Amino acid sequence: MIVQQLFLLSILLYIAGAVASLALNRAGKMANYASGISAFAAAIAGMASAIPVFARGTGFTMEAVGVIPFARLIFQADIFSAFMVLVISLLAAATAIYSLSYQEEYIGRGAGVLGFLNNLFLASMVLVVTSGNAFYFLIFWELMTLASYFLVSFEQENQEAVQAGFLYFLVAHAGTAMIMLSFFIFFLYTGSFDFASFRSANLSPVTKNLAFLLAFFGFGAKAGIIPLHIWLPRAHPAAPSNVSALLSGVMIKTAIYGILRVGVDFLGSSVWWWGLTVLAFGAISAVLGVLYAISENDLKRLLAYSSIENVGIILMGAGVGMMGVASGQPVLGVLGLLAGLYHLINHAVFKGLLFLGAGSVIYRLHTKNMEEMGGLARQMPWTGFTFLAGALGISAIPPLNGFVSEWFIYQSLFMAGTGGILAVKVLSPLFAVMLALTGALAAMCFVKAYGVTFAGTSRSVRAQEAREVPVPMLAGMAILAAGCIILGLGAPVVAPYIANVSSALLGASPVRVSDGLLVFPASGSQAILSPPLLALLLVGLVTLPLLIVALQGGMQAGRRMDSEPWACGYKYSPRMVYASSAFAQPLRVLFRSAYWLRTAMEGPGYAIASYGKGAMAYVARMESMWEDYIYGPLARGTVHLGKRVQALQMGNVRLYCVYIIVTLVALLIATVR
Amino acid sequence: MAGNKLLLIGLVQALLVLVVAPFFTGFSRTLRAKLHSRKGPGILQNYRDIFKLIKRQEVVPAQASWVFRFTPYIVMATTLLMAMIIPILILQSPLGMAADLIAVVYLFAVFRFFFALAGLDSGSGFAGIGASREMALAVLVEPTIILVLFVVALLAGSTDLGTISQKVAAGEISYYSPAVWLGMAAFAIATFVETGKLPFDLAEAEQEIQEGPLTEYSGRSLAILKWSLYMKQVVAIALFLAVFFPFGSAAVVSASSLLVSVATFLLKVAGFYVVAALLENGMARLLLFKTPAVTWVAFGIALLSFVFYLANV
Repeated sequence: MIVQQLFLLSILLYIAGAVASLALNRAGKMANYASGISAFAAAIAGMASAIPVFARGTGFTMEAVGVIPFARLIFQADIFSAFMVLVISLLAAATAIYSLSYQEEYIGRGAGVLGFLNNLFLASMVLVVTSGNAFYFLIFWELMTLASYFLVSFEQENQEAVQAGFLYFLVAHAGTAMIMLSFFIFFLYTGSFDFASFRSANLSPVTKNLAFLLAFFGFGAKAGIIPLHIWLPRAHPAAPSNVSALLSGVMIKTAIYGILRVGVDFLGSSVWWWGLTVLAFGAISAVLGVLYAISENDLKRLLAYSSIENVGIILMGAGVGMMGVASGQPVLGVLGLLAGLYHLINHAVFKGLLFLGAGSVIYRLHTKNMEEMGGLARQMPWTGFTFLAGALGISAIPPLNGFVSEWFIYQSLFMAGTGGILAVKVLSPLFAVMLALTGALAAMCFVKAYGVTFAGTSRSVRAQEAREVPVPMLAGMAILAAGCIILGLGAPVVAPYIANVSSALLGASPVRVSDGLLVFPASGSQAILSPPLLALLLVGLVTLPLLIVALQGGMQAGRRMDSEPWACGYKYSPRMVYASSAFAQPLRVLFRSAYWLRTAMEGPGYAIASYGKGAMAYVARMESMWEDYIYGPLARGTVHLGKRVQALQMGNVRLYCVYIIVTLVALLIATVR
Repeated sequence: MAGNKLLLIGLVQALLVLVVAPFFTGFSRTLRAKLHSRKGPGILQNYRDIFKLIKRQEVVPAQASWVFRFTPYIVMATTLLMAMIIPILILQSPLGMAADLIAVVYLFAVFRFFFALAGLDSGSGFAGIGASREMALAVLVEPTIILVLFVVALLAGSTDLGTISQKVAAGEISYYSPAVWLGMAAFAIATFVETGKLPFDLAEAEQEIQEGPLTEYSGRSLAILKWSLYMKQVVAIALFLAVFFPFGSAAVVSASSLLVSVATFLLKVAGFYVVAALLENGMARLLLFKTPAVTWVAFGIALLSFVFYLANV
């Protein structure tokens, strides 16, 4: 009983925070505190309501008084929903603390509205993952989309943000339309909007496939899978950084929730190629996402592209799991889903952290361009340190959290490769290769992200004069950095809980994945991993080189600071430092084809008449091909169609009367028959 | 076997790699000098360099942060840990209860991550080039490494390195299978790249890929980093040997069998270096942007090995 009340309290606190923040809009600072503190309290309440569900393993159902006659307002939190609530609340708590200081930037520029939207956004996400009725699910889903749309285009004076918001709005609604159709198929077969009845829907094979594919691509648009990703790298960076953290950290996870809810929970993942589809789209998104990320010079866009990569990795785990279920290997199903869900919570933690870190940098430097940063680890040591923790986590550096979840994905791919359907056997090692490629690229990407931003020489005056950010911002980041470490080293404790989530979702018997300090995929004979032991040994082994140095008298030799690095005898200048685009240059050349890189000369041209009309520029445009070849024609086609339809609208009243009469006659015939 | 005893063997392995690594790179330098008809440095020159450097004052660029200063120690600890996990002396991974081959592949990434980061942190342009190329090269070889290891692991039914070693040594994974020898060939190329050998990198030359991040290092940090680089070479070779040539390693632990396996291990590594030196001498340094041509071949061989694995099973 108490669990339900805590859940309601959490929602009410979000709403109260939203209202209070809006009401206090004039008094910017107060609005800020109202929204931050209530969001934090709400997040704590949310976690408190989710944790008992984990402990007991049983969820709760609650029916509230709905206002719509044909749909029941049901909140239904099974263990999977509770997991999602926990992830959302965790990030909500960290960003709430962070935004206490961060949103001071926006005082006088609508801090109250920002707080209002932020709380509404958080509440809507929690409601989406706990809704037990398709109709209300869609309402909350729309609320989430709208709140995030306004947050993305919050900086109205910024033309880019407005455009990014519009694109997001379009893609999100195309996605929603597909989700609606998918739910409508269920409704046709069951006559009810309740999720509970969706589960027992008896669909024909063709409609099953249709319902799944509609849901996959509908939710996939929100998750940002390639090729539905074009809005994501624009929208996520455009929002204020604490919101970006939520957009990338948790909002795209609600889409993963949707895919799994429909594909696994409602449809039972009964067709094996569904899993393969999820896996393939995941793998492609992972590789291309990180490739695009590497060559970005905008820190937040880099992080946004990397979210596409990580959604890909999550979907790889989920896909293996779905294949496992479909091919009658429940252990593989549990393991794959465990890997995916583990990466889901990991990504929420480290991507949230990295976006907050980027926010801290922008808070001081007021630029997103990495070429103008550099050397910030000296002026902002704590920000640098926490950002590094996130970078290590996301690069799957053992023993941190990203490594553990990727290890589980490797193990589930390995298991998929040992038996079952031939196609799966053939393809799973190749997917492992794609994951390895992703891992190497991600490491390079985050060496760059940290190295160019925080390491080396300051490349601008603002970077030289930067100071550490206020304590609340540091606290928000510190929570998440601790999360990276706990989810990594604490894998033996965490993994069984997530395994419970995945076995509950599949309705499979539980699988043992840990023992003492060890984690293993169902059986120790396949592989064993112990992150805490690795960490312990690493720390222990660091003493060995230190001992050697001490024994050899290296410590007495001392250290001298040299003002400048070696520059071949020339005068050193910060411009010599290897910056963002230079670092990524080898990859741009090596993977030219994957980038769809296009170079062009822009400017006056070669003609004699053009001399003196300014400089020519050599520009390399990346990735515009998705837009050139897919979205461009689509948009042009739509406009063309629109123009044709316009012919109906002649402005002639008599013609409109004919339309009305024709419609009436058609309706009469239809009803009489 | 009891966990304590295994942990002890792991430590012995780590110390063994620590001690012999400078010897082998010295050996390789001498060999190459002989092939060039040069006199070259003595085999023990690397030891002398390291111990001289440790005593020297360290010069640190003012731009560098703590990452620059801690990297040598982190990097060496990582290599030591890898030396503890890979079955070097016995047909069992001394840390089999903590890590498998995927963990080892990712520990190589830890090495690279900090090494490249330190390069960027020094603020030197040359170090930056080195860092960028180090990471780019990893992108090219990592897929090959994982594919080969996956095929071998599928043959062994486990990703535990000890199990793989045992099955290869016992002949359960047979060399007659094309999957194995093709995998071996691909992995040999990958190991060659990982050890920083000539067509890809010239580890001894200043301003090259590996020396790049070292540009600003001096004194004890340089000593520890160089030592770690030597150790990384031996560890990469040891991984190759553990998967494809585990013969001679002790199946049961006793003083005499351990001595034998130390001797065979040293001989095998020396053999690798001889072959590597011969190959290196026949090649010129490859333009970085031309390396994919070679790494694609390696990946192609690995793919072929996988196809043969599929055909057999």
